[in-house]
Amino acid sequence: MADDQAVGPLAWLTLALKGLAELRHGDYARTGSQCPSPQKHQPGRMSFTSWQFAIFVAVVFGAYYSPPLRRFQMQLLVCSSLFFYGYGQPELLPLLAVAVCGTFVFLVLALRNRAIWLPAGIVFNLLLLAFFKYKFLFIGASSQDLTGIAPIDLLLKLPLPIGISFFVFHNISLLVDLTREKARPPSLTDVFLYIVFFPQLVSGPITRAEMFFPQIKPKYVADVPFVEAAKWILTGYFFKLFVANNLNEMTSYMDFPLYETLQTEDRWLLVFLYSYQIYADFFGYSAIAIGIALLFGFRLPINFNLPYISSSFSEFWTRWHISLSSWLRTYLYIPLGGNRCGLARTNLNLMIVMGLGGLWHGAGVSYLVWGLFHGLLLVLERPFLKSLQAFDSELLRFARMTFVFLCVSVLWIFFKLPSFDHALGYLAGMFKPGTNPNPPKLFHDLALLYALPVMIQHLGFGSVLQSRLSRWEPYLYGVMAALAYLEAGPDVSFIYFQF
Amino acid sequence: MRQRRDFPWLVKCASAALLSLLVCAIATLRLGGGQELPATTTRDGALLALNRYVREPIPDVVLVGSSLTFRLSEEYFETPRLRNLALAGGSPLTGLEIIAHQSQLPKIILVETNILSRPADDVLVEKYADKQRVEPLFLRPLRSGVASYENWMHKPSSHSQMAGELDRLIMQAPSDFDNRIYVERAVSQLDALDPSAVVRMSVEIMRGLIPELERRGAKVFLFELPYIDQVEKTRAAMVTREIVHAAFPDPSRWLPIDVTRSDLRWADGVHLDERSALITARSMEKNLAMRSRGG
Repeated sequence: MADDQAVGPLAWLTLALKGLAELRHGDYARTGSQCPSPQKHQPGRMSFTSWQFAIFVAVVFGAYYSPPLRRFQMQLLVCSSLFFYGYGQPELLPLLAVAVCGTFVFLVLALRNRAIWLPAGIVFNLLLLAFFKYKFLFIGASSQDLTGIAPIDLLLKLPLPIGISFFVFHNISLLVDLTREKARPPSLTDVFLYIVFFPQLVSGPITRAEMFFPQIKPKYVADVPFVEAAKWILTGYFFKLFVANNLNEMTSYMDFPLYETLQTEDRWLLVFLYSYQIYADFFGYSAIAIGIALLFGFRLPINFNLPYISSSFSEFWTRWHISLSSWLRTYLYIPLGGNRCGLARTNLNLMIVMGLGGLWHGAGVSYLVWGLFHGLLLVLERPFLKSLQAFDSELLRFARMTFVFLCVSVLWIFFKLPSFDHALGYLAGMFKPGTNPNPPKLFHDLALLYALPVMIQHLGFGSVLQSRLSRWEPYLYGVMAALAYLEAGPDVSFIYFQF
Repeated sequence: MRQRRDFPWLVKCASAALLSLLVCAIATLRLGGGQELPATTTRDGALLALNRYVREPIPDVVLVGSSLTFRLSEEYFETPRLRNLALAGGSPLTGLEIIAHQSQLPKIILVETNILSRPADDVLVEKYADKQRVEPLFLRPLRSGVASYENWMHKPSSHSQMAGELDRLIMQAPSDFDNRIYVERAVSQLDALDPSAVVRMSVEIMRGLIPELERRGAKVFLFELPYIDQVEKTRAAMVTREIVHAAFPDPSRWLPIDVTRSDLRWADGVHLDERSALITARSMEKNLAMRSRGG
């Protein structure tokens, strides 16, 4: 049971009415650190932050560059990626195989007749995504007999395949890009590698086919940019373990019903901390993925570019989850007409793209609302963008950055609380005084300490490091590595794994 | 070759990482693991009190309990060697088991019996059960630094330092804060709760632990903190009281708390406010002295 329940009447309410909360939070109530763990790793899965993963990468790296296996590098990467994906959840491998092989068949057919088979291939993938991601909107997850037809029930009862949102987008990119170029069909191994390449399989970055396929060629250890890879990997682990996992200790109090015990000012503080956490978590994952891919000779797209210094919402979307934004722009916004069909249609397109972008994250009203609000902000700022940019004032730019950060942070509440009612409840509590006389205590010095790396990074410390402090750079990365190990927060999954 | 260029960078990086770890390992050997705070807590200083308990000389008197007892600050008692190991949101059993796992025991252990509807926190018990296990391999420099800062900023005062302030507090009139809404909520929640099963289990554990602690030389007293009248009559409070008294019927086992109820206030409907906690602490201390003298 959540510990705070004992210190205030609201908590007594929780205690009495939420017997389940005791079960749910039993783990953290017993840790002594009082940290709820809403995103515990799925049992058996190989996480980027596990020792199994480190051993896995080391073994695959050794085999990959060993001369006897050089001829089979791509096959080895495919097999390793399938092992990685199936580790702990082998029942999902057939589904992945169906998705990849199905897409390959549609690709071959679409290269002969694009008009028919390209839409069919896209529909095939979207149906896969819709089936697994949105089926629980229509059926109860715990229902015993769903249809009475065993094979269908088996499919319906399969859990959400990890990374399905990402590999479905890879599949669509593959179909569109290669059929547009009218290229020769790639081999099945290459298609598999593009889709299941393990650093990007679970949470991206979403790599465009036209960017990935040219990189499929023999790789040599002499070409590996070890320092660059090490920088990405160490930065990624530092942001995940030190920043995101520690901040998660605090932001877990944003979950229902714990948030009801918070003071109003702590609700606000946690919103900003979650903003830093989700960035550190996803940036950390992307950095690790980019670094590991470099070890195997592949360059994945950059996924983040200091999003919280954006001075407009449109700029934010060129800096946050760049691979998703550019995917949506290329494969959805532009085909819908983009900004070429008048103001009303442009605005409608923005709303459609952002709404669908929200739903892509999950089947919940909160995700849809999050996307639509972002769409609305994009629509509202469009008429003023040019005139605002005409003012060359640092102060105005700072005010705009603050406003964008504030809006983006508040909208993350819909991410943190996928139940729309809970999200609204949290929001409402930000504007009225708290009633719990004994609220949880957040250590503000620790909050600042854990948020500091994100702030420093956004203040442009990276460029200072590259120019004036480059001599100290390796030592700084070494200390970051030690801190990531010593000061790591309690282990939790990457936030984007759930998508 | 690229590797030849990269090698010095990687060596420097690895050296810095290893050196940092080495420094933290040596610091652990020299200074201990350091006191760490969770990033967020509803236990206020309880974990620090546990840290102090396992590191410092064994006190004479120890209180264990839930958040109700947590309100009885150590500085309210004149007894200098007294520790309050009550855990907000926790069970008295957690503190009791931690004490039982130490090689040395305090002379007197006071056990709150109001909240027995929670099991002991096994992880916490295990963490503090063995002094060796409390020490981590590496000092966590940042957390330890912040914990030291917080300890320094919120250093508990002694009774003598606080005496004047405490006397002023007790001279004040009882608070007139309107707590009706909180009382109503607490009553409805506690009425909805039937803690019988867990309370029986907790009592069984206490019946095993208390004779064992007394065999090793400690004296154990039970006490019940006063609730506001409406809460006293709730199902959860009555069931708990009935089960505990049936299991420990001997009046000499109980430390009475003689207070004028009209003097007490429960700001949130359940927990004593500061002044009331002070009144209660003084009564407990007085009765404890009488018990120690055999009165």
